[in-house]
Amino acid sequence: MERLVVIRCPGLLEEGAEGEEARRFARALERAGELCPWVHPVRLGVGALPARGPARFFGGEEAVVERLAGTVGEEATIGVADGLFAAMLAARSELIVPPGGTADFLGPWSVATLARPDLAVTLQRLGVTTLAQLAALPAASISDRFGADAAACHAVARGESGELVGLRDRGIERRLRVVRGEDPDRGPDVPPPPSQPGFFGGASEADNRAARSFVRVQERLGVEAVVIGRLRGGRDPAGQSVLLPWGSPEVEAAGAGAPWPGRVPPPAPTDVLRVPLRAEVADVTGRAVAVSGRGLLTGGIEQLSVAGGPWQPVLGWAGPWPVTERWWSVRRRRARLQVVTAEGVARLLCTERGQWWVEAVYD
Amino acid sequence: MFAFSAGDPSSPRSRELPAGLADRVRPTTPVAGRTLPVPPPLAPLFPAGSLRRGTTTTVTGPPGHGATTLALALMAAASAAGSWCAVVGLADPGVVAAAGLGLDLRRVVFVPHPGNGWAEAAGDLLSGVDAVLIRPPGRARLTAARHLTARARERQAALVVLLEGSGAWPEGGDLALSVGAVEWEGIGRGHGHLQGRRAEVRVSGRRAAGRVSECSLWLPAGSGAVENAEEEPVRTGQSAHGVERRGPAGAGPGDGPEAA
Repeated sequence: MERLVVIRCPGLLEEGAEGEEARRFARALERAGELCPWVHPVRLGVGALPARGPARFFGGEEAVVERLAGTVGEEATIGVADGLFAAMLAARSELIVPPGGTADFLGPWSVATLARPDLAVTLQRLGVTTLAQLAALPAASISDRFGADAAACHAVARGESGELVGLRDRGIERRLRVVRGEDPDRGPDVPPPPSQPGFFGGASEADNRAARSFVRVQERLGVEAVVIGRLRGGRDPAGQSVLLPWGSPEVEAAGAGAPWPGRVPPPAPTDVLRVPLRAEVADVTGRAVAVSGRGLLTGGIEQLSVAGGPWQPVLGWAGPWPVTERWWSVRRRRARLQVVTAEGVARLLCTERGQWWVEAVYD
Repeated sequence: MFAFSAGDPSSPRSRELPAGLADRVRPTTPVAGRTLPVPPPLAPLFPAGSLRRGTTTTVTGPPGHGATTLALALMAAASAAGSWCAVVGLADPGVVAAAGLGLDLRRVVFVPHPGNGWAEAAGDLLSGVDAVLIRPPGRARLTAARHLTARARERQAALVVLLEGSGAWPEGGDLALSVGAVEWEGIGRGHGHLQGRRAEVRVSGRRAAGRVSECSLWLPAGSGAVENAEEEPVRTGQSAHGVERRGPAGAGPGDGPEAA
């Protein structure tokens, strides 16, 4: 189930006499689209976009929500969840539902949220009032007794599916084209399927063959298992590049190759640890070495221990390169150091608040 | 599995030939179509000066001594020439380093965490791309190794197996590259910065009919790419930074207790 960000503009959910709501909604989506290119309308006043690519690019789902909220220019509530149905409810309550938490999140909601009045009445007569109670019923009996649409509702309540007939307004694309003054019959203005460069237009047989093998690996290991790397601006090894699931929309890379102050000089490390390893750095007497407030080391570096391992003699080091950056409103003071141990292994270390970390290895 | 190359791997012929005949069939594609280019500094390591499709190349070295750099570099020229490449099992791939080595990121996919499905994933990819780099977790099973070697041959893809520390490949590769002594340059005691790693690379294996059996390489050079270190290459920045040569690290294989 695709993880989605839903933007809900409560003031634009229904069309007024002037048609102003559709115009404002179209403009809000355009503004959001400048930030994240895959924003699409779900129905009037509700837009959605895939969460994964932007979350990786902007540094987390919270960051995406925060940026979108400042961009759409309309009163909007934003939520993130697996599947469209849960994401729309999450947007109503302004929540980020953790991956896999859909069924738990949906549980307390009323069966009325499914927008199936007849089914809701019948279920409530049977004592089934919440989505959790609906989810607890056996799938086969729902399907036998109430039919395919109810079975779809059941799958939604279980968090197995996110789509339900009626959730999306199929006429919304055309309506927005009209208010934008475009030709309404130009055809559905859905974004092209996520693809890689080389797969558009003159995709060769080799490209198609490669794509089929990537899909097979995704089927085997999950959609997130196959990733592509892209460069972008940044001063730390992790910030200079981004890994995105193959097939996710290409996000415009900002400032790749631009000079970034405090950037560690090339060559770049081959292993950029997503989870840094704790390290200890000591001088010849075994005393811990730190970076002072003025950005200087408090001693010469003679020994390094990684992840609680044995002390290794240090052959050489370079730095510290001080890094101060604003991370939201918190000011972070960090410094980087290249260290080569006697066995010939070079590592990039980072220190923050007195703790050293191995950020990357030059393998 | 057939030890021959069909020009079009999806051609039904390739799977219908009897085994006895398959061994004698020769591909009709020109020789150039049966190899993948490698960066010029690496060409002397290869029999034809290039990476032969359908073969398995192992790259070994102590952890942190540049085997990852060498393995990635093997695919740089191929990806730049338009071949799709896949990297399986490098948990934390350095994308900037890969680009610096010359890989075209638009032609490379990574499968960083294949878990127990690494061999199957690599098998899938060998059917779809021109070169696959795998780093098996720990010791690979013989059956998995044989299967992948055969799949590479059948699909005419180049298989590169990266083995560091405890990793082992039960099936001997066609070509074995090993990184020996390494030495970082440009870094002093509190000054300079990492500028290049000089590494001795040895070649052996069934198809080790290369022009050299050992060569000295920058893995990588200050530019981020692999360069020849046999005759002192012109390296910008050397004079500006007052390079201090550190003594050779002198660590042999097995000297690296650290898991990368």
